[in-house]
Amino acid sequence: MANLTSPMPGKVMAIKVAVGDKVEVEDELIILEALKMETPIYAEDAGTVAAIKVKEGEAVKVGDVLVVIE
Amino acid sequence: MPDIGKSLSDAEIRRTEENLALIKEQERIIADAAERVRQAGRPAEAIHKRGQMTAHDRLEYLVDPGTWCPLHTLYNPADNEEGCTGVINGLGKIEGKWAVIIAFDNKVMAGAWIAGQPENILRVTDLAKRLNIPLVWLTNCSGVKLMEQERLYAGRRGSGACFFRHAELNQLGIPVLNAIYGTNPAGGGYQGISPTILLAHKDANIAVGGAGIVGGMHPKGHFDLEGALKLISATKSFKAKDPGRVETHFDQTAYFREVHDTETGVLDGIKRYMQALPAYDPVFFRVAEPAEPKFSTEELNRLLPANQKRPYDICQVLARITDNSEFMEYRSDYGPEVVTGIAKLEGLPVGIIANIQGIFPDYPEYAQGAYQGAGGKHYRQGLIKQNEFVVLCGRDNLPIIWLQDTTGIDVGDLAEEAELLALGQSLIYSIEQTDLSMMCVVLRKGSAAAHYIMGGPQANNNNAFTLGTPLTEIYVMHGETAAAAAYARRLVKEHESGRDLQPILDKMNQMMVDYHEKSRPLYCAQRGFVDEVISLPDLRKYCSAFVGASYQNPRSITPVHQMLLPRVIKG
Repeated sequence: MANLTSPMPGKVMAIKVAVGDKVEVEDELIILEALKMETPIYAEDAGTVAAIKVKEGEAVKVGDVLVVIE
Repeated sequence: MPDIGKSLSDAEIRRTEENLALIKEQERIIADAAERVRQAGRPAEAIHKRGQMTAHDRLEYLVDPGTWCPLHTLYNPADNEEGCTGVINGLGKIEGKWAVIIAFDNKVMAGAWIAGQPENILRVTDLAKRLNIPLVWLTNCSGVKLMEQERLYAGRRGSGACFFRHAELNQLGIPVLNAIYGTNPAGGGYQGISPTILLAHKDANIAVGGAGIVGGMHPKGHFDLEGALKLISATKSFKAKDPGRVETHFDQTAYFREVHDTETGVLDGIKRYMQALPAYDPVFFRVAEPAEPKFSTEELNRLLPANQKRPYDICQVLARITDNSEFMEYRSDYGPEVVTGIAKLEGLPVGIIANIQGIFPDYPEYAQGAYQGAGGKHYRQGLIKQNEFVVLCGRDNLPIIWLQDTTGIDVGDLAEEAELLALGQSLIYSIEQTDLSMMCVVLRKGSAAAHYIMGGPQANNNNAFTLGTPLTEIYVMHGETAAAAAYARRLVKEHESGRDLQPILDKMNQMMVDYHEKSRPLYCAQRGFVDEVISLPDLRKYCSAFVGASYQNPRSITPVHQMLLPRVIKG
């Protein structure tokens, strides 16, 4: 199990995957919004999306878990 | 020099297919407009039928293959009916030496002076002066377009200013070579006589006045049918030849150095004169052998997002421009919002300054956590770093390439207390006191004062030329911000009075549409906000031309072993 955590404070603008989706390294999983910019968060591991820990519109801090990959 | 950049991953290639399509769409808009300009005036076949070459033909014959970097292709600042400025110009090599080259488009009203053209010509003479390289004219000029003389003949920056610029270039020791074709009366006469070396085609003429004016009529104060019939009769029987022909200006006054029977003969003459001009062999200033970037320049179309809200890694961009994808960064530990450093192009050292995208937590330090730093903006450290770097480049005689993608300088009380207003102007002062040649590329956004201070076109004495890309947008601020700023108070008043807000909302939405349309790459090129919109893969070609030209006839030299920047960077 691998936790994908947020590298920056921001707001979850879009979630590009659903639980059960197969993902490869560097796939775009989440888009965070901060300071009018959209920062994509990419998968660091390949696998299946086990859980999505955030909702669209939710504010996140550095280190908050976004997605769990198994 | 340290390496920068890395290959694109499979995932990046997959993800960026859509970006390729978006950029291609913008390139198509620019290409269509360029084609319309190319077709302006009479068809090329009509010129060929008369046994003549078009300006494009002449340029193709003259310029070393693969070196032509066109400028001002879409420039049309007066929005004239011809749809162009009637002069084709750019940087190119002739016999291995860089020159600024400009040709009257003889398809467009036989190369007449038309509205907007003087501004283009002045930019071109400015370019030759800034780079200190020869100016080469292909003259074929029928004089002022009489129907709209008030738009170009007079005024401080009217057509005649070009002749004073030629005199200035000569005085500065910069030669102006002239290949003369066709009939060149009045304005054309001075286009003919003002350069340094005049080479003419056998059918060419240059004169104070044309035959039509020399013909002379007795003015009545108005035109009526009787007068018209006299004019028609006189014109039909008119036999006088255009004055200032070869018999006069080669055989008698000797203004023409050479006369050639063929059009290409004149261009061969220009080539021989270019061979006679001084130019340092690049080996004199090279610090390494020229080398292509490690990565394909085509990948730039994947790296730079068309979605202006998406960040990217500027080092990946630099790695597809610089020799061998190398870069020597200055003060990487300071001012995280901009990157400054030395790179090589064609083996020649150049300074590069660029915005870094992304979010910078715990920065700027003077905000003390009140807000985060955003890429594309300028804060105190970045401004100080840019100032230092520019001053050191000035001392080391390193030309500078500015890569802009900037939304402005930080604002607010904290920013003012951090002296950002003065630091921005300080950067302007730093630039002005260098007497360096600089080139600016508006990679994506160029806005607010940041567009000015980052070596923008407003740096009239230093900026050689400014390029746009298919993703360029230039405006004082984003349209949405502008509409809010412009109408916020009105909204308050209307709302407090209980009136319908929709009319104001309509105005605000219209303003956003307006700002969008008037900041597109095509608009920027037509208005001259940039000197040319190029494709991203062509960036290296133009950067190489700029650097090569800068080192061809430098007015000031810093020996490599006495440069300060490389030692400051090494520590």
